Amino acid sequence: MTEPLVRVDDVARTYHSRRGLFGRAVEVAAVDGVSFTLGRGETLGIVGESGSGKSTTGRLVLGLEPSDRGTVAFDGAALPKGGTPDWRRLRARMQMIFQDPLGALDRRLPIGEQIREPLDIHDIGDTASRVARVADLLDRVGLTRNHGRRYPHELSGGQRQRAVLARALATTPDFLVCDEPISALDVSIQAQVVNLLVDLQAEFGLAMLFVSHDLRVVRQVSRRVAVMYLGRIVEEGSADDLFASPVHPYTRALVSAAPTPGRRLTDRIVLQGDPPDPADRPSGCAFHPRCPVAEARCRIETPRLVDVGGGRRAACLPVSGDATSTREAA
Amino acid sequence: MLRFFSLRVFRALLTVTLVVTFAFVVLRMSADPALIILGPEAPPEVIAAFRKSWGLDEPIWVQYVDYVAAIFRGELGRSMRDGRPAIELVAERIPATLALTLPALALKIAIGIPAGIWASLHRGTFVDRTVMAAAVAGFTVPSFVLGLVLVLIFSVQLGWLPSGGQDTWIHAILPIVTMGVGGAAVLARFTRSAMLEVLGQPYMRTASAKGLPWARAIRDHALPNAAIPTVTIVGFMVGTLIAGAVVVESVFSWPGVGRLLVVAVSNRDLAVVQCILLLVAATMVLSNLMVDFLYGFLDPRLAAGARAGGH
Amino acid sequence: MVDLSPAAPTRRFAVTLPRLPVTVSLALLWVIAMIVIALFADAIAPHGFTALDLKHRLVAPGEPTHLLGTDELGRDVLSRLVASIRISLAIAFGATLISALIGTTLGFLAAHFRGLVEQVVLMLADFQASMPFLIMALSVLAFFGNSLPLLIGLMGLYGWERYARIARGLAISAGSQGYAGAVRQLGASPGRVYGRHILPNIASTLIVSMTLVFPEVILMESGLSFLGLGVQPPMTSLGNMVGYGREYLTRAPWILLSPSVTIVLTTLAVSILGDWVRDSLDPTLR
Repeated sequence: MTEPLVRVDDVARTYHSRRGLFGRAVEVAAVDGVSFTLGRGETLGIVGESGSGKSTTGRLVLGLEPSDRGTVAFDGAALPKGGTPDWRRLRARMQMIFQDPLGALDRRLPIGEQIREPLDIHDIGDTASRVARVADLLDRVGLTRNHGRRYPHELSGGQRQRAVLARALATTPDFLVCDEPISALDVSIQAQVVNLLVDLQAEFGLAMLFVSHDLRVVRQVSRRVAVMYLGRIVEEGSADDLFASPVHPYTRALVSAAPTPGRRLTDRIVLQGDPPDPADRPSGCAFHPRCPVAEARCRIETPRLVDVGGGRRAACLPVSGDATSTREAA
Repeated sequence: MLRFFSLRVFRALLTVTLVVTFAFVVLRMSADPALIILGPEAPPEVIAAFRKSWGLDEPIWVQYVDYVAAIFRGELGRSMRDGRPAIELVAERIPATLALTLPALALKIAIGIPAGIWASLHRGTFVDRTVMAAAVAGFTVPSFVLGLVLVLIFSVQLGWLPSGGQDTWIHAILPIVTMGVGGAAVLARFTRSAMLEVLGQPYMRTASAKGLPWARAIRDHALPNAAIPTVTIVGFMVGTLIAGAVVVESVFSWPGVGRLLVVAVSNRDLAVVQCILLLVAATMVLSNLMVDFLYGFLDPRLAAGARAGGH
Repeated sequence: MVDLSPAAPTRRFAVTLPRLPVTVSLALLWVIAMIVIALFADAIAPHGFTALDLKHRLVAPGEPTHLLGTDELGRDVLSRLVASIRISLAIAFGATLISALIGTTLGFLAAHFRGLVEQVVLMLADFQASMPFLIMALSVLAFFGNSLPLLIGLMGLYGWERYARIARGLAISAGSQGYAGAVRQLGASPGRVYGRHILPNIASTLIVSMTLVFPEVILMESGLSFLGLGVQPPMTSLGNMVGYGREYLTRAPWILLSPSVTIVLTTLAVSILGDWVRDSLDPTLR
């Protein structure tokens, strides 16, 4: 099959908000023209700071939020509108892991019942097979049947995230979006949950969109990585290449800031200027105020994501040259 | 700021529209409006003329527009009982009601707010518990029970005060006290919790850490901030000035708007009821609007917060 | 050596049994007594509440056959009190349930559809909160006359806006970030999201609000009945008894004293219980 499982084409999401007492409405472009594809069993990591639009991208892909323009296609068909019966039916095939497992679980129901709920919702199997499936899922995520009878507050953070994972996998989905799945967990158990994710991804042949601000985790989980800055993908490529030789100045700064064994931190590139504010987006290349290699044209021309060779794409004028830019006014 | 105020004015107009629509709908649903407005003894030719002038054969929305226009002209119908314009009947009762509700409001504020502040500054002490117990009692004892108990004590047993009527100012004492005590209890409870809220704020601790004398910190920081929620409840009380005395006026046979309403309801004198309803709505809306404006000046942040559509 | 271990189990036992404050225990006893009286009114009342006994009119309390005395028609005050408790509690209970149902439903609708629906619900809630309920109720009664179902329905509009605001706020917060959003994401229908997940989660908060609205409904109904515009004879309610008893204030104050005391103690008891439940169950509501 040549058609990828997920095809995201130029999606955008703009929020309207108001600042200050007499403030006028400000348009905040959380996601601004993001495109990528994801084949069956593939993993794509999305990295970025808070406000880069990475979480919103995940929600757009799932149809949890409507996109203002562009399209999302799943398995060759356009994603139905959120909340419709068609969209609800599709939930059996695409699932999500949340940042806060305690918030994602209903504190008034035992874990086992919540893992069973997708089977009840999508009417999969009879009662006996659902019970057996819950036991199997608990086992696969490393929980016991005993855990299934407990309530969310009686479990540890790691166990709750395992329960959320079991619930997401109940309907054997094809596609999983993980939104910062370990950042709310204790550091000591983050690695266990990541390893579990990697194992289950391979075992279930899941296509996975892994959203995180943590480069090392993304690298461990994903084969391909996209770096987002202020609502746009600035660089995309295979995880190994991208981390070994980042092309975009922003990626370079990110990679240099992440501690890696065997490399001294003195090489670190420290970013200048303010952290990005989606409500106050700089003109031209949004990164230019903090960019060490910015040129005059970076202020006015918006770089497009173009192929820079070796299966890599980047959106940077000094890197890719003249032909790939568009005038802001255009 | 302007946006905040215009939003509030818009809401106020909406409330008035809702009340007018409510009155219109129940009027149409309950009986023939011609008979209701003119009374059953109206001559047939008058009814016919009325029907024509009010366009009762017109589509319902035309009738609605006409109805609203009539209200703006002050045509609120005639009482079924004596045929006088309802608005006249109501208007002549207003002074008597205000003679009770205005002093009662003053009493509520004079007792309730200081008691609430006092209790909050002595939290957990005997003073606080006494004020709170009184406040709970003030809420749970309905005004008709309190009024009758006062009559039993001061009129029947002691014979000091008259039990009803409106001849002298002495007659007003018991009804005013009855209303004032209940309202003061509500106000005290409200003021106390507003004050406690403010006293627990970090800026109060900062003020005392800065070395500001506690009394000055209370005066400059706590009281102005606690005033904001308290103003709401006082505003609600102002809104009930005209019709807040329904029960108390009945207990003491005081010839005010409230008694007129009760009599009109039992006689199903719809024109009078409708007139009072609209008057109450107008007062309520105006006092709410005043509170909102006061809010805007007391706390600009509220005006800012209200933009988001929250509460 | 002193062995302290036997003390431990007793202490643990003491912790598991929550110690009720004295006022709360008394309030609970009173409320239970009222419910028992309301349920078994016919068995408890010594006489029929409409039974006339013209030979024993305005008998003072203390008579063995008429413990709380009789009224102007010789009807037994105790029997009337029992019947009144039943009616007043039934109205307050029914009205509280109706208003909780209306309010929660509208709150959920507002949270689910947002936009225009939400604005309309909030506007109606503002309207309900800003108009004096007694005046609105009186107007409706003037237009439609009086009957028990109408009265219960009318009282059922009292306080709905509070449930609506609570239900809307909690449903929105559960939906945007929390468990409800997660369940929606699983493909659950709105009925499942609201009925199986949100409602059980916010039930305790709603019940606390009900205990706070309930005494206000009792007061409102007794006020209307006192004015002669609520429960109509031959039926009787607490406010009704006070209203009719007031004619005999000087000659037979006992007629109105026992229902008055019942109103005050019942509202007090339910308020105390409500405050206590709120403080112990839901510290966020304070």
